[in-house]
Amino acid sequence: MKDEIYKFFADYVFKHSGISYKPGDYYRLDSRIMTLMRAFSVDTPEALYQLYVQNISKEMHTLLIDLFTNNETYFMRDVKPFKALAKGILPALVEKMTLPTPIQIWSCACSTGQEIYSIMMATETFGSSELLSKIRIEATDLSTEALAKAQKAEYNGLEVQRGLPANLLIKYFEKKEDQELWSVKPELKSRVTFAQFNLLKDKYPINKYHIVFCRNVLIYQEIENKRYILEKIHDALKPGGYLIFGAGESLIGVTLPFTQVEFEGAYVYQKKS
Amino acid sequence: MKILIVDDSKPIFMMVSQMLKELGHDPIWAEEGQKAIQVLSEHPDVSLILLDWNMPVMNGLEFLQLNKEDKFFDHPIVMMTTENSPEKIQAALECGAADYIMKPFTSDILQSKIEMVIDMM
Repeated sequence: MKDEIYKFFADYVFKHSGISYKPGDYYRLDSRIMTLMRAFSVDTPEALYQLYVQNISKEMHTLLIDLFTNNETYFMRDVKPFKALAKGILPALVEKMTLPTPIQIWSCACSTGQEIYSIMMATETFGSSELLSKIRIEATDLSTEALAKAQKAEYNGLEVQRGLPANLLIKYFEKKEDQELWSVKPELKSRVTFAQFNLLKDKYPINKYHIVFCRNVLIYQEIENKRYILEKIHDALKPGGYLIFGAGESLIGVTLPFTQVEFEGAYVYQKKS
Repeated sequence: MKILIVDDSKPIFMMVSQMLKELGHDPIWAEEGQKAIQVLSEHPDVSLILLDWNMPVMNGLEFLQLNKEDKFFDHPIVMMTTENSPEKIQAALECGAADYIMKPFTSDILQSKIEMVIDMM
């Protein structure tokens, strides 16, 4: 791919998001550019570039920014699945439980942590403090760098403003003195354990989780890998457990014993009992 | 959507105005709170205010306090300021700010904050 094309997309993303891709990072744009090509039905990066140079519609802008900034680097950017969790899934799970055991949630590609802290903030905000007290989260990612940041749970002024309303910022974060950093409060951090995990290579647990978050992971995968990961996640879920995808992701192309269910306008998949 | 930017810095107005235009909005300007009240009476179709904190004559918090009492503007008001302490954010929210943007910020943050407060209405 020509550097001119990388530079065009990198400059556009920098202008609109402040997220910078230097020439040495251009390889990280390949899969994202491929996803854009599929979305707009063009065969080559050149054709995609021509499309964007001519005119950038709102849809083209939003998809580009979402993909290049990674949705998971936003707190609650797509609030629907978090509302579905707090108002539908967690109450349904609690109702069925006969013993007061914790609800196990796996964030299988937690990136820099925004998803896991959003899960907890949403559980209390749209649900209740009692619901929050019942959940435990296992957060994994392939990248040790991303995991270290997720675990440290410190974000700068730009990061904490991405998707997070100010009332939640002051409720769940502390500002570090004399620094422009915001730190997630310990009561949220204490509910999470972190580990590195490769979705294609590592050994998955069996029958362990009530809920698995797998958002914006599979869009970058070929169909064979997608099928493998979903089969393993299916086995890792408890019967009746829930799989939560990112916006626009689905089980299309993969046949597994899941039922699609709707909560609060969000579609999630439930493992058949 | 017509958006009123209340800020005593013209360069800030120009920058935010450009971002808003790119997002398809129609920005107008007032240099401080007192002027903003006048501009609002001339433009009853304003749907959102972006409000700086530190300004001469009437500052952002005074504007919020006055609107809390008199309710002359019943659409969202979002603070947009370099003030970034949790105490200041708390004070603005208590006085009726719908959300809070800390400077510096980027166009995607402005867009997501506007979408969030409009969704809340």
